[in-house]
Amino acid sequence: MQKEQDVTRREFLKTAAAVAAATTLPSAGAPAILSAQSLSNPVRYGVIGTGTEGCTLLRFLTTIPEGRCIATCDIYPPNLKKGVETIGTNPETYEDYRKMLERKDLDAVLIATPLNLHAQMVLDALSAGKQVFVEKTMYFKEEEGDQIRKASAEHPKQVLQVGLQRRSSLLYQVGMEMIRKGALGKIMFVRAQWHRNNNWRRPVPDPKYERLINWRMYKEYSGGLLAELASHQVDVANWAIGSEPVSVVATGGIDYWKDGRETCDNVQAIYEYPGGQKLLWSSILYNAHLEFDEQIMGDRGTLIITLGKGMYYREAVAKVSSSNSKENWWAGATVTSLAPQEGIPIFPERGANGEIGFVDREVRYAKRWLASMGIYSYEEPHDPWWTEMYNFMLSVRDGKPVIAPLEIGVADARGVIYGNRAVETGQKVFWPKAQPLKET
Amino acid sequence: MRINLKATFNSGARGRWIVLAAMLAAGAWLARADDAAIRYEASHESMGTVFTVAVYGRDQAFLSEVVNEVFEEIDRLDEQMSNYKPESELSVINREAAQHEMIVEPRLFGLIQFSLRASQESGGAFDITVGPLMKRWGFFRGQGRLPSPAEISQVLNAVGYQHVYLVPERRGLRFDVSGVEIDLGGIAKGYAVDQAVEILRSNGIMGALVSSGTSSIYALGSPPGERGWKVTVRDPFEAGKAADVFRLQNFALSTSGNYEKSFKIGSKTYCHIMDPHTGWPVENMLSTVVVAPTGTESEALTKIFFVGGVEKSRPYLASHPNALAVFYQPGERPQTFKRTVLRSKSFQLPSDSLAEFEK
Ligand SMILES: NC(=O)c1ccc[n+]([C@@H]2O[C@H](COP(=O)([O-])OP(=O)(O)OC[C@H]3O[C@@H](n4cnc5c(N)ncnc54)[C@H](O)[C@@H]3O)[C@@H](O)[C@H]2O)c1
Repeated sequence: MQKEQDVTRREFLKTAAAVAAATTLPSAGAPAILSAQSLSNPVRYGVIGTGTEGCTLLRFLTTIPEGRCIATCDIYPPNLKKGVETIGTNPETYEDYRKMLERKDLDAVLIATPLNLHAQMVLDALSAGKQVFVEKTMYFKEEEGDQIRKASAEHPKQVLQVGLQRRSSLLYQVGMEMIRKGALGKIMFVRAQWHRNNNWRRPVPDPKYERLINWRMYKEYSGGLLAELASHQVDVANWAIGSEPVSVVATGGIDYWKDGRETCDNVQAIYEYPGGQKLLWSSILYNAHLEFDEQIMGDRGTLIITLGKGMYYREAVAKVSSSNSKENWWAGATVTSLAPQEGIPIFPERGANGEIGFVDREVRYAKRWLASMGIYSYEEPHDPWWTEMYNFMLSVRDGKPVIAPLEIGVADARGVIYGNRAVETGQKVFWPKAQPLKET
Repeated sequence: MRINLKATFNSGARGRWIVLAAMLAAGAWLARADDAAIRYEASHESMGTVFTVAVYGRDQAFLSEVVNEVFEEIDRLDEQMSNYKPESELSVINREAAQHEMIVEPRLFGLIQFSLRASQESGGAFDITVGPLMKRWGFFRGQGRLPSPAEISQVLNAVGYQHVYLVPERRGLRFDVSGVEIDLGGIAKGYAVDQAVEILRSNGIMGALVSSGTSSIYALGSPPGERGWKVTVRDPFEAGKAADVFRLQNFALSTSGNYEKSFKIGSKTYCHIMDPHTGWPVENMLSTVVVAPTGTESEALTKIFFVGGVEKSRPYLASHPNALAVFYQPGERPQTFKRTVLRSKSFQLPSDSLAEFEK
């Protein structure tokens, strides 16, 4: 009996490794070492909004020679300066993004401005013939979704990618492959949270900049916690379940940080999906113990995943078989504990050509074991942010498939917008029509 | 060749079958499940081990409900009989029974009563008050240590089934000294297996096997078209290697082995089974296997025989029916064992009980 359990466990590990090996993933790309040399025909891009996220993207872009930053744009001079320093390619700077879009030599733009500006900037960039990367959440107001869809349909050759970088994570891709191959059984529940213990404010050097710098606090520009944090996790749930939700109930309030902000300091939401699956999401700004992750639960297992770490827990499930199986039970075989209690780390790794040699496999098992005991931690071959940027450049230059395209962004934005509506109205909000998501 | 256990058994002979069956009329003892049956197997962690139930039947939904009921019952027993859980009935008894008499729930009372009788009949080889001794040896914390002789004799003051007094008329229980602790770890899993079988039977299940991980197995009926459940007993030295193979129908089988928990100090290995008389781990026994009509009995007997050894077990088997015991002792060369098989003098069993043993 114990033997059998051991075998099952080993089999599982094999499967997980094979899954990791077999996934059809986008190329992980050139090593960062190549960054110094510039390629002959790089994508010429500009960045609109070089604040926190804009500079994060620029930092990763410094090691991607497939693109060259020739322009940046920001209305806040200190951030404009920071952007230029970060990329170090001496880009031309703009205060008005429209001026930047007029440049004929500009192939692509990356938009990392406050949420309320996304849609207009996307529309303007598309009609100026530019390829577009836009940060999550893709858009702010419900009607903007159709406007972007229409514009995108009118410019079918132009890339439109949304900045949901979990889609670019090899770890998440392996996790989703495990789900597709049935390692978790039927997915019925996702629990996700993003908990912090701070006021979520940024320092303001002069009060006149309060609304520009702390735009996330004000409803005129921001969808609050749902837009800034849930957007990542609603997308993961959509990805795992394979659909967008059909309804949401939610509550929230300004109950702790009563400092003049307009967006909630806590939100709890329950999304329902077409098959009755639920996403239970919560965000609070006064306790950071749980931090953030997504717990994807099926009737055969649980995947607890976040950037940089994924653990798989098997459910103790019944086996059903036909009656002609041969019985052989062992007495006195020592059973230490059931597999489900021990989490099995999932690895963002795959072998060359999908084939793994004996030594590789043993090393991988050893690493898994060490990782499960907290002795060893693993890393993705590239930061998902890097992969996201790299993929964007390849999509623009070589027509590679876009990782997080339009409809994924739309489904995600609807989750945010309807969630906020549920908080504000106290009513259950229904989707106009749930749409199955296309696999990427 | 098969030998009915009622016939003379020659333990020196090779390649024998020992058949323990009241009646060998062709097929009469085989409770056949339907050929269209499906097999349902599930596991559940409880009592510090993993219980597994495999059942045959027609309706998967029904089988899963029955098996869930079994697991719920086992969890209830664990809640009641655990002495790791401070709020269990047994923990409360252990804390208070030296101060005043406790009234005990009927099933728990019955099990304690059975245990004390087993203690008496085995001259204390089986003893549910041995817990404090195990603690001294560090078995509960998973780290063995060698206690001093003074420590042992001090602990032994509160060890001994004689310290537990029962008043059956009102299910009363009392300890006569403080420091006494009842630990049902040596019998509760076998009892849980029996309770599981009760639930299966009362739901009309004709073929099932219940296992409590390392300790006890009960074979209810047979798999469809088969003659008993095949149960392999592991080699005392090597987990994956078979020592003996049994075929069981409506019988329980329990094992005790020094491979379960043991530790080494110097060149000496100490096992987790204590001799309550000496306060020291039992030596010169690798493992014992007992086949008996219930898991409660087989589990108690396997410890009695492990502690008592072959010679002291002979009179016990002579006066108690329905049991078969196999003793595995160190052989002359390292990593070898010698085997001794003993059986009860008499068997009074229902016609559908079967225990075959091939060695
Ligand atoms: N993918 C992620 O993990 C991630 C992380 C953080 C932020 N974001 C997203 O990135 C976007 C920006 O967030 P942030 O935290 O970097 O905010 P931020 O305030 O740090 O940066 C926004 C920048 O946009 C500039 N800006 C404002 N209006 C402008 C205009 N009209 N033209 C040009 N620039 C303008 C601001 O001056 C500021 O420098 C948001 O949509 C946010 O959700 C994504």
